[in-house]
Amino acid sequence: MGRGYIVEDVVEKYLSNLSVPGASCVTGLLIGQSSSQRDFVVLAVRTPQKDTEGQGSPSVSRGAGNSLERLDVEWVTEHARQVSRMLPGGMSVIGVFLVTPPELSKEAQNTLRRLIFAVDKHISKGRLWSLTEEDVTEKVTLHICSKTRKVVCRTYDVRDPKSSAKPADWKYQSGVCTSWPLLTCSVGLNLVFPVLEMHVLPQDMEKCMKEGLQTWAKQIEDGLCLINGDAMPGEVELLGGQKKNAKAVQQTFRAQILIPMAEPQSERRLTASVKVCSGSLTLKGMVQCRAYLHSNKPRAKHATEVIKRDVINTVSSRVEMFLEDLLMEGEDKGSVGVQQVLPRRVFAPVPGMSLCVCDYMFPDECVSDVSDRLKEMLDWETPEDSIDTSQEAVPEAPTIDLKNTVVQKNLKAKSTLDARPKTPSEDPTEAHKSHKTYYAGVAMAAAIALLATGTSLIYLSD
Amino acid sequence: MVVGNIILRLRGSLEFKCQLDSTDVPHVQKVISRTFEALGSQVKAESLVLSLSSSPVFLWPNKGGHATAGEISPNRPCKDLQQLIQTDDQESSRKKSAKKDKNNPTAGIINLTLMTEVTEPGVLSAPTLLRGSKKHHLLQTTLPMDCVVSVLSSESISVVCGTLVGALCSQLGDMEKVALRHMKGTALLIPQPFHFLLPAPVGLVTVVYPAGVPDSQLETQRKELHSLFELPDDRPYLRRANALHFPDEPYKDGYLRNPHVHLNHPALENGKPYLVQGVYSYHHYMQDRVDDNGWGCAYRSLQTICSWFQQQGYVERAVPSHKEIQQALVEVGDKQGSFLGSRQWIGSIEVAAVLDQLLGVTSKIMFVSQGNAECFRELANHFLSEGTPIMIGGGVLAHTILGVAWSETTGQIRYLILDPHYTGAEDLQVITDKGWCGWKGPEFWDQNAYYNLCLPQRPKTI
Repeated sequence: MGRGYIVEDVVEKYLSNLSVPGASCVTGLLIGQSSSQRDFVVLAVRTPQKDTEGQGSPSVSRGAGNSLERLDVEWVTEHARQVSRMLPGGMSVIGVFLVTPPELSKEAQNTLRRLIFAVDKHISKGRLWSLTEEDVTEKVTLHICSKTRKVVCRTYDVRDPKSSAKPADWKYQSGVCTSWPLLTCSVGLNLVFPVLEMHVLPQDMEKCMKEGLQTWAKQIEDGLCLINGDAMPGEVELLGGQKKNAKAVQQTFRAQILIPMAEPQSERRLTASVKVCSGSLTLKGMVQCRAYLHSNKPRAKHATEVIKRDVINTVSSRVEMFLEDLLMEGEDKGSVGVQQVLPRRVFAPVPGMSLCVCDYMFPDECVSDVSDRLKEMLDWETPEDSIDTSQEAVPEAPTIDLKNTVVQKNLKAKSTLDARPKTPSEDPTEAHKSHKTYYAGVAMAAAIALLATGTSLIYLSD
Repeated sequence: MVVGNIILRLRGSLEFKCQLDSTDVPHVQKVISRTFEALGSQVKAESLVLSLSSSPVFLWPNKGGHATAGEISPNRPCKDLQQLIQTDDQESSRKKSAKKDKNNPTAGIINLTLMTEVTEPGVLSAPTLLRGSKKHHLLQTTLPMDCVVSVLSSESISVVCGTLVGALCSQLGDMEKVALRHMKGTALLIPQPFHFLLPAPVGLVTVVYPAGVPDSQLETQRKELHSLFELPDDRPYLRRANALHFPDEPYKDGYLRNPHVHLNHPALENGKPYLVQGVYSYHHYMQDRVDDNGWGCAYRSLQTICSWFQQQGYVERAVPSHKEIQQALVEVGDKQGSFLGSRQWIGSIEVAAVLDQLLGVTSKIMFVSQGNAECFRELANHFLSEGTPIMIGGGVLAHTILGVAWSETTGQIRYLILDPHYTGAEDLQVITDKGWCGWKGPEFWDQNAYYNLCLPQRPKTI
């Protein structure tokens, strides 16, 4: 028996409204939650168009062979990774869709298989928490014929490279997520990572931070989670109190995470360990966390899992973004000894639903940047005043380490005042794509695409 | 122990981390002191949580003793906490420990562990990253906090929480003193707390010793404490081996301790028992995978005596094996080389020789013929002044005497015997029921035999 996907009505509308002219193909992501019994899809987002000018590749596949073969899998996976960062706990990219003309329907299955494995692999990179046995590893692929609008739904187990397609049900329904419970908490960080003397900053900064964060993530994973002040056993149903036909209302639960202060069992030392260090990295502040559960008899242990994963993800995401940005912008000599602000989390409502997505704002950005990004990544309009930037407070002006000279202070002030350069999109085969590049590149591409007569999207081959 | 009191034990590890910019002593001491001060603040923070072991209850001691479980409010008496502790098999343990708990004042102890809440809301803002570039030595370890407080069972939870936090702070203070006193360069010896049950009126005290420094080098500290607590200066009370053994912590080596405390005193009119003092382990046939059935009884009695000297803190060496005992006898010239690996019996003279050779303990030898009851007075005096187990050999058997009892009115005498001929498992029920450890009457003595007794003497040392 295959899996059953319960899909929001808005997804049907979105998919049917997708403009897929001529012989072109459209790829996109399916976002939702998977539980052991059922799977829910609440959003579908097409892959944004790429800037084709910079590549110098042939723009439109005017009948020149198979556009599936020229599908840029990397572009799709990168989009998936960026979108994953914008999803609160519980929600994730659980599948991909592909719209093709009827003649490519047969090949579409292979393409979908390639896509779903690549997407899952790319999203899981750098993840600091581990999957458990209870996690569902089946992901969904949806093929839509552009002419007949027929839908073929299959799943693959992405943990098994040899897995074959299994048929699955795809059913539309309204109000799928209206009563999805929401968990919130805010986690304080005060982490100091040593930079051992064999490491050199800034090259090894990522390594040092990753190692330190890995230890912290394990503590969070192993920690105890209280829900609404109660230490519930894992099997307790969270929505147990609700009457069957009660009006579907979204409940909010407050999570608290307690970490035991216990001695690591590894070694019994007699003296304190001494390490020679060339520096240190201090991560301090408060992060806002949110996670959604589904409404199909969620248990306390699922709740603790999704909120803990969100805690870990939000910290590792913004550190990743900060490091990517640093790499792109080039090393700022004046940044040593000064507190640099990491991107802070803001929330935006999903149109027509009681869910939120999130984004990260760099210190020199404003709400319109967020709005633009939401449009590009998630393909919807967000009025600027609906974006909630109040959850995480803006840190005060970067404090200066008294040991540093005045000269460095001036350097830092200069760099924050400079507007971030909007670089044109870079070679899509490059590993690092910060949000900035993406946004800028695609904005240009979108402008060009609108002007171009050929309206089909081109995907460069791998 | 004061009746109507409850003992609470709080354990956990505090992370000790500090950066030493230079290794000169005044700087190091200043930084260490500052780090301890910071830990003191951490312990008084609102994010500190105490977890009541084996229960779903968590307490926030710095928030007035606010707790998770609904039934417990901060002004309830702390004895209510005991009802919330879930023990595994309360039924079976009640049978066995009926006698034990009366004598042991630390039964019914409440265990708590340290935790920290990372979701404790603070006034922190969104995260920042600070890069420090100063070369330094990073000192890192965990401090093994272990506090024991004795409070009235009617005392409110909020007050008890305050007492516990106070105990943590004062232990940190003790640890700081020990750390600074024994520090060499950048080598910080980890301070470890030990609990001792001193004779009335002192009671329960906690002393912090530096890890890795053997008892022999800590005599000055012990002398100071002996005079502080007005303890006699000829026997050890504060060596690490004298530390209080809590009833809820099973001995890891598998040997039974003091099986005689589970016996009823002999029903003698006006009978007063004179018993062994302190703690010994029961050594008998077939233990340690050595099949000494039929020849090893004196060896086992000797092992029991050695275990007494080790657990009272007189020696640090482990209980000797049969091989080591034979080796010692060859070394002192009492036996030829062919003795090694043989199954030859030994007597009280050999026992005394080994005690002297391996433990530096001298013994008195007593000859008793015809099971003469006048030796009773000598034995009673021995248990009063030395309190060590006595090895008795005669005829073809060896045993251990742990005590004597005599009725003034009837003249009846009883002997508390620990029998090394037992070949079974460490089953307390069987050992006490079947008399392997039990009170015997004069029929125990063979009227026609000659007995040699070895009475080990306590060395005069602290």
